[in-house]
Amino acid sequence: MTYVGLLTIAEKDSLLGQLYAPDSYFNPIQDIDDNWIISTEEMEFCVNPEFQWVKTLPLIEYIPKPSPFHSVE
Amino acid sequence: MGIYIKGRNSLDPDAEKFIAQAGITNNTQKSAINKLVLDTKGYGIWTKMKAIYPMVGGTAFSHKWNLKTPIDTNESYTLVFSGGWTHSATGAKPNGTNGYADTFLVSNTMALNSIHASFYSRTNFTDNNYKINLGYLRTTPDSFSDIALDWNGVSVFRLNNGGVYTSVSSGGNNQGFYTVSRTASNVIRAFKNGNIILNATDASNVTANNRSFYIGAGNNNGTPQYYTPNECAFASLGDGLTNTEAANFYTAVQVFNTTLGRQV
Repeated sequence: MTYVGLLTIAEKDSLLGQLYAPDSYFNPIQDIDDNWIISTEEMEFCVNPEFQWVKTLPLIEYIPKPSPFHSVE
Repeated sequence: MGIYIKGRNSLDPDAEKFIAQAGITNNTQKSAINKLVLDTKGYGIWTKMKAIYPMVGGTAFSHKWNLKTPIDTNESYTLVFSGGWTHSATGAKPNGTNGYADTFLVSNTMALNSIHASFYSRTNFTDNNYKINLGYLRTTPDSFSDIALDWNGVSVFRLNNGGVYTSVSSGGNNQGFYTVSRTASNVIRAFKNGNIILNATDASNVTANNRSFYIGAGNNNGTPQYYTPNECAFASLGDGLTNTEAANFYTAVQVFNTTLGRQV
């Protein structure tokens, strides 16, 4: 079971294009319910003083959006 | 294979440049990088490489550098990591949720029918989801290039493919050094640890001038998708490799990773 940090839309917008650690950018994505989330790696490894609040994001179980394969064999 | 001047450590100039840029100070790592460069040059495959990512040094900073052109620009194919990654002495491990790296290298940098990609996987992971270790997907016109390990028990290898692909059994373990090479419009081969595992006639279609290769996921029409949790201990992109070149490439990379104590 994978857990991820739940973001508000405003929080998601504030993370776009921002570093959480040297040479490592945040990548908010949406889960199957269209919640915006980031990974626990981004939360745990964040050393950017501006975004230490990500360490206390509420955790939810991650269910990804379906990603069907598209080509033919 | 290498050059060593008695009484003095002499680094290959390309190795030296990379070591300096990546901030590598560990002598074992320096020696491994130097031998990797010398071996690939000795095997005649260095000039076929557009990007080599040795994933050495243990941090995002050291892992981002392209050994061929260690300049910190997108044009030099320096990686940009996004999402969740764990960087360590064994390589760069994406989390399989949202971790990916952009190479900024698009397939039309190589010829339609002369292209290769490689990925050294240290993780044995299987599930029913399609997962791309390295690649891009573009539709209209169709151009698919990816290494996708262990999807329902098969692995997929494509380079500038149209809609048709040939899968191969994953064999129950997707740890190893995987290379896919296209050397003609109807010749695409895949290798695991230097041994041929796929010999197909899938037709090439077009290159993609606007889709860069991602590592850790696929670049699906500009959006990262099909995230994978396979740890990467080496990756490369470049011109097509012959069977002999692919085998020699494995030898060089395996020596590199064995020196670093992270071979599988």
